[in-house]
Parts: sequence; C-alpha cells; structure tokens
Amino acid sequence: MSSERHGPWSLAYRRLRRNRLALASLALFVLIVAFVLAAPLWADHVAHTGPNATHTTEKIVVDGETREVVDVEGKPIGPVWFGAGGEFFLGADSGLGRDEMVRLMYGGRTSLMIGLSSALITTLLATALGLLAGYFGGRTDSIISRTLDLIWSFPVVLLGIALGTALAVGGLKIGPLEVEGNSLWIPILIIAVVMTPYMARPIRGEVLALRQKEFVEAAVAQGAGSLRIMFAELLPNLWSTVIVFFTLNIANNMLLESALSYLGAGVQPPNSSWGKMVSTGVELIYTAPILAFAPGLMILLTVLSLNVFGDGLRSALDPKSKLRLEAHTGTVEPAGTAV
Amino acid sequence: MLVAVLALAAVATMGLASCGSDSDSSGKEGGTLNGTYASFPDYLDPALSYTQEGWTAMQNVYIPLLTYAHANGAAGGEVIPGLAKSLPQISDDRKTYTLNLRPGLKYSDGRPVKASDFTYAVERLFKVNSGGSPFYTGIVGAEKFAETKNGGIPGIEADDKTGEIVIHLTKPRGTFTNELGLMFVAPIPQDTPDTNQSTNPPPATGPYAIVKSDPGKGWSYERNPYWEKANSKAMPDLPSGHMDKIAITIVRNPSTQVNNVEQGKTDWMQTVPPPDRYPEVKSKYEGTQFRVEPTISIYYFWMNTNKPPFDDPEVRQAVNYAVDPAALERIYVGTLKGTQQILPVGMPGYKKFELYPHDLAKAKAMIKAAAPKDMDVTVWGDNESENEAAIVYYNDVLEQLGFNTTLKVIGADNYFTVIGNQSTPELDTGWSNWFQDYPHPNDFFQPMLSGESILPTNNGNFAEIDVPAFNEEITRLGEEEFGPEQEAAYATLDREYMEEAPWAPYGNRTVSTFVSDAIDFDKVIFNPTFGQDLTSFQFK
Repeated sequence: MSSERHGPWSLAYRRLRRNRLALASLALFVLIVAFVLAAPLWADHVAHTGPNATHTTEKIVVDGETREVVDVEGKPIGPVWFGAGGEFFLGADSGLGRDEMVRLMYGGRTSLMIGLSSALITTLLATALGLLAGYFGGRTDSIISRTLDLIWSFPVVLLGIALGTALAVGGLKIGPLEVEGNSLWIPILIIAVVMTPYMARPIRGEVLALRQKEFVEAAVAQGAGSLRIMFAELLPNLWSTVIVFFTLNIANNMLLESALSYLGAGVQPPNSSWGKMVSTGVELIYTAPILAFAPGLMILLTVLSLNVFGDGLRSALDPKSKLRLEAHTGTVEPAGTAV
Repeated sequence: MLVAVLALAAVATMGLASCGSDSDSSGKEGGTLNGTYASFPDYLDPALSYTQEGWTAMQNVYIPLLTYAHANGAAGGEVIPGLAKSLPQISDDRKTYTLNLRPGLKYSDGRPVKASDFTYAVERLFKVNSGGSPFYTGIVGAEKFAETKNGGIPGIEADDKTGEIVIHLTKPRGTFTNELGLMFVAPIPQDTPDTNQSTNPPPATGPYAIVKSDPGKGWSYERNPYWEKANSKAMPDLPSGHMDKIAITIVRNPSTQVNNVEQGKTDWMQTVPPPDRYPEVKSKYEGTQFRVEPTISIYYFWMNTNKPPFDDPEVRQAVNYAVDPAALERIYVGTLKGTQQILPVGMPGYKKFELYPHDLAKAKAMIKAAAPKDMDVTVWGDNESENEAAIVYYNDVLEQLGFNTTLKVIGADNYFTVIGNQSTPELDTGWSNWFQDYPHPNDFFQPMLSGESILPTNNGNFAEIDVPAFNEEITRLGEEEFGPEQEAAYATLDREYMEEAPWAPYGNRTVSTFVSDAIDFDKVIFNPTFGQDLTSFQFK
C-alpha cells in the first residue's frame, strides 16, 4: 500500500499492528492493570480481608488442617493457594499476618497509580519547560536549563530519598497546595519533579531544531503569536516523542518508586506498593522467598511490558528509528515515510 | 557521720556471677578475637556514647571511679569500685560523696591517672553537650557550668596529691552511685580535646586500648601495656581479658554475619541474627553457641493524656485491653517477652501483674461506653523493621476500636527528636522504648513519667502524664538510698501508673550472644547494662 494515501498516525498504527512483540507487551500490561483493578473484588469475596488488616494470632483451616497464620516464632504461613478457599493464597506477609495476595493487588494499584500519575506530571512539566526553553531561548532558556541542570546534578535516588524523608513528617505546603506527609501525592510529586529534566532536555533540543524549520518561519511571517506557534505548530510535531517518553516514564517512575519505597522514602505504611513489599519480603528471603519474589516479578513484568511497548511505539512513530532498528536485521524501510 | 553505700543490685542474688577472668585458668590465653557489628557505634568517645553498642565497645577501655560487676544477669547490676579504692562514703545529709583514687594507676600512654582527671571528664561532658550530662547537673555548680562552659565546677574537689575526690550535690540523689559507674565520667587525660574523639579515642585505663578506629569500617584493640605493669595490680578485682587483640569489623548484612560465625570466619556477632535466620540459629546453636539475653528494657505505646481522646483513662485502659503482647511477641520474631507493666523483668521493684488481659470485645465495649468525641488520632512510629511492624499492628488495633487513624512513620534517626518536640502537631499516640541507663527503677519513672520531664523539646514524657501525687513519690524515692522499702514502693508505683494507663506496655526486648565454635561459650558474660564483656571471650 502506498504511504501517500495515509496520514502519519494511520501509518504509525499500521506499523504498530505489525509489531507482535509490542502488542503482546501491551496485552500483558492490560492484564496487569486488570489484575490490580480486581483487588477489591478479591479482597471482599475471596480473601475476606483488607490489605492492612493484621491476623497475627489468628488460625485458618487449610485442607482440613488448622494452622496458625503466624507461628510462635514469628514465621508467616506460606502460600496455601486455594487450600483455605483463596484466603492467604500467597501466604501471609510477615509477623503481622496480612494477606500477601491482597497486598500484592492493592500494592500494584499504588505502584501503577504512582507510575502513571507521576509520568503524566513529568510529561506535562517537561513538555511545557522544553517548549518554553527551546522556543524563547536566551534568558528564558538559561533559567530553565540551569534549574533543570541543578536537579539533574543530584543522583535521582539520593534526591528522592532526601525529599521523601523530609516531606514524610511535615508534608508539603506551597501556597494553596497542601499535602499530608503520608499521602501518596508525596512520592508522586517527588518522582515527577526529579524525573522532569530527563525528558525536558531532549524536548528542548527537538524544539530548538524545529524552530529553524520553514513552517515555523512561515507561521512567524503570517503574524502568529508565540503561544500559537508553540501549541499549534511545534507541539503537534512533538507528539510522537512525548507519547513514547510517557510510556517509558511510567516504567522508569515505577522503578524509582520501588527503589524509594524499598529504602523507606516512598510509600508510607501501612499502605503497600510493590517496592515496599520487596523491602519487607527481603527480610524473610531465606524462609519465605515468595514475599520478595512475587512483587519483584510484578515490577519486572510491568516495566518490561511498558518498555517493550514503548520501544514498539517509538518504532511505529519514528521511522528513522525503525530504519536504524531494521538495518541491523537486514531489512530497510523504504524512504519517504517520515512522520 | 559518713556511711558506705550498699550497691543497689546487692539486693539481687540472681545471675551467674563471674567476676574476674583469672578464676578459671582453663582454655587458651591470647589470640585475636574477630567480631562484627552491623554498624559503627554512635561514638567511640566515653563522654558521648549513649548506646549499648558503644558501651560494649568501651566497657573494658575506660573505667570510671566506680564500675559494674563483670557478671551475667542481675549480678551484673552490682556497683563495685573501679578506679576508686572503694565505694563512696556518703555524708549524713546524702549530699557529699567522697572517693579516693587507687594509687599507681596509669593510662595506656604511660601518663599517671590524676584525681583532677575526673573533674575534667565531668566538665568535658558538659562541653561536648553529652546526652549523659543530665545525670550530673545535680553537682553543685554543674548547672551553671553547663550554660557558661567555663569557670569550673565548684562542687567537685579533687586533690592530685592524695587522690581524694569530694563531690557535693545540691540535693540528695539516690541514683548517684549508679551514675558514677557510667563511663560518661570515666577519667581521661586533661589534654583530650573537647570534641568527638571517635576517630582518635583517648588513652585507656582498662585492659584494652583502642589502637585504630575507622568509622564505617571498624576498630581494633590491643592490650593496654600499662594494664599488666600497673593497673591490674591496682585493681586486682577487675578482669584482664584473655585475648591479645580484638578486631571489630562492620558487616552491614546480619545474615552475612550469621554465615561468618557459622563458618568460623568470625568469632562473635554483636548483632542479633535477622528475623529470617533467628529461629534456625536458635534451634541449631542454643546452649552451645547461642544464647538469648534479656535486656532491662520496655517497649510501649504512649497515649497523650492531655488531649482527646486519650485524656479519658477509660479510653486508655480500653487500648491496653486491645493490645495483645502475644501478637507482638510474634511480630518481634522471638526477640521480645510480653509484659503489661512499666518496670521490666530483672529490674529491682519488678513485681509481675497483669491488669489488662487481652480482650478485644471488652475494649470495644469500653470505647463505646466512653464515647470519645474525637476519634481522629495520629499514630507515630519509627521505621526500624520490627518497630515499624509494631506500630502498623497498633494502628490496626486502633482502627478495630473505631478510631480514624493517620499513621506517621518517620526515620529512626530523628524520631525521638520529632515526637519529643511539643510543637510537632498531632502528637496523639505512638511507639517508644527505653533501655535502662543503670539498674535503678527510678530510671524508668523519672525520665518518662514525672511531670517535670514534660519539656518543650527533648521531651521524654510522651504521654504528658502529670499526676502530682506520683511526681512527689518519684522525687521522694529518687532522693532516698535504695533498699527493700523503696523497692516495694516502686512496685506499688508501677501498678498505680498502669491503673492510670498512660502507656500500653507490650514487651521487654531480648538480644543474643552468638559465637563461633572456637569460643568457650559458657564463659561469655552478658552484662545487662554493657552487653557482652570483651574480657570474657576466650578460645577453647
């Protein structure tokens, strides 16, 4: 089919449909989202407990045998699958005797929510800053770029820990914006801010290149204002980059959330997140490896699915990238399909 | 008339007294003890260290005028003469203490120990703003010196020629003999800088001297060359130790520490095995290489008696019924023994009682009857593994009782600074613990439950309980010399406080001794105040 008959989005869609690995990754991600969205159903109708309810001294009947949720030495019960009708499917999480499966599902909601929300904020912030810096240049560019450099100069995890620890006690108050110290918005905002330079700098570079193009000069010649040029001329040409960054940001931000929660500066107890669960599980890695393995596997699958899908999306939206990618395999995409 | 002090713990006869290492000549002499810590102690400076880890490291390096018996259990609470010839003589008004330095004492660099070195040690304590300085503000002039940091402390008279040291107190202090046995006031040379000396610890008076200190990595000891020549002759009742050298390495992963001890790569781990390995280590090695050691400590949840809903005693009592020490024993993976009272097992004055046997239904009914108007509470805890789990459990218990909780878990490093600052908002209830400074029950009432301990910052009375009758009793008992009558009075006070229920106490912590097969395990001493006694380690 000739490329001239299709718009760039249609072409990208067709390319994406041909990438089975990317589609499989998308399907896996959708499955993971469905899994975590089903948390209340599982908690209410199968496990009959909430994610933070403790059962330390309780007993359950597993395949006709009465067992302690946590034994007298503090060891939690292991996976009983459907031996107790779905209760403690993956066992208990620690000496607290919380249902690991329920926490895994609710923890996934937290991790995904943080990943998605922070990626959205990162994307909005980075796009706006990149546009402003790249379009106006001069002093505006200097101020924005140096501020981003300042954030960039700190190691991400260290900066995240410093902010997370400081804000965990008193929360955040900037003008009318007030966030409690144990709110999920604390890790969301921290991650969003510390990850912004990693996206804003490439966007700025792309805007700098686009600003020299003829269509921008034409818009200026027609008397278009700065806002119109930025949002009507430049932004549509950035969409492919922004979308690809967004998917990759979700994965990166989830990883950062896991690292921060693992180190105690992310999600605050009693809430669970996959990173927090790995942190708790590692303490029992010898006797109950599933407690670290299960959330660790979920992080791996989610990040992998997003990264592979993001890569597929980039290939579909950016044919130059596709050309380079396929050149390695000996297949070269015909020229003239630039989006 | 002057009277000799009978040490507090002389009333206790339990425990395995094992004073002096020369009493048993079996086993090897010499060698290097390789031990591990999970982290560097707070300080390797006797004036500054205020943790058992630090005190374990320095007990046999810096000897105060008085010290504690090198013995297990309650026997280890006995105050015995250290650098002083004998226990202090106390004046009739109990405000003047007289001690005499033993003659011929030397530091590990060969310089003589002088009486005025004690004065310098006390002054330095205030200059470096040590956490231990409040024990000594009762010395005449000390409070002023704490503010001005110059001019000396007139309440201490030291005669370098005779070795006599006379200490004048502003008012009687029944715990002062115990406090003279803490290494905060161990004499050190007067040219020791008044800054943290952890990287360059001062010369020793004990059998071992710290010869290298590398914070973050470890530290090592060698025999004090002047111990054999001078000090051991002057203090024959103190143990000399068996090892020639001791090397302590920081190994952050406690599981690696367990592996190293099992494989004989190291001889001792100061850290408790991690929860994951604890049951396995206990079942495999208990009695041969592993021992559970009780600490004189209390773990508790405090409730702010000044604010709703915990200003109502019935609400606080209900919380006590709802908290289940048996659950917390499991959460602490066998390193906690449940209790429901303030004084811990092993502390003189402890008399077991159980006012609030676990009954969640009764607790719910009591809350319903009390019908507190404010059900929104903020729950505070720190982020150390088991303590975080404990506060999560407590948060869940409060929710089961119908409270709307907000849980705030903050870093252990600044937890007590935050909850000890009364300007911190929403200090409703939370977690805390306390380890004894010395074996005297006053140490469990005065700092945490007396009205005068309620302070704007560095507050130790988190429940903010202020009952005048209890305050008077604490003051009276604190000024008296300890005896059977005082012991009974402290037991009564313990029960009276728990009837008011400012806390929901839940356990006394245990630690452990775990050594390699090469160590003569039965000889290893664990002193409840100082931890493992490094002079007691000996190769088989």
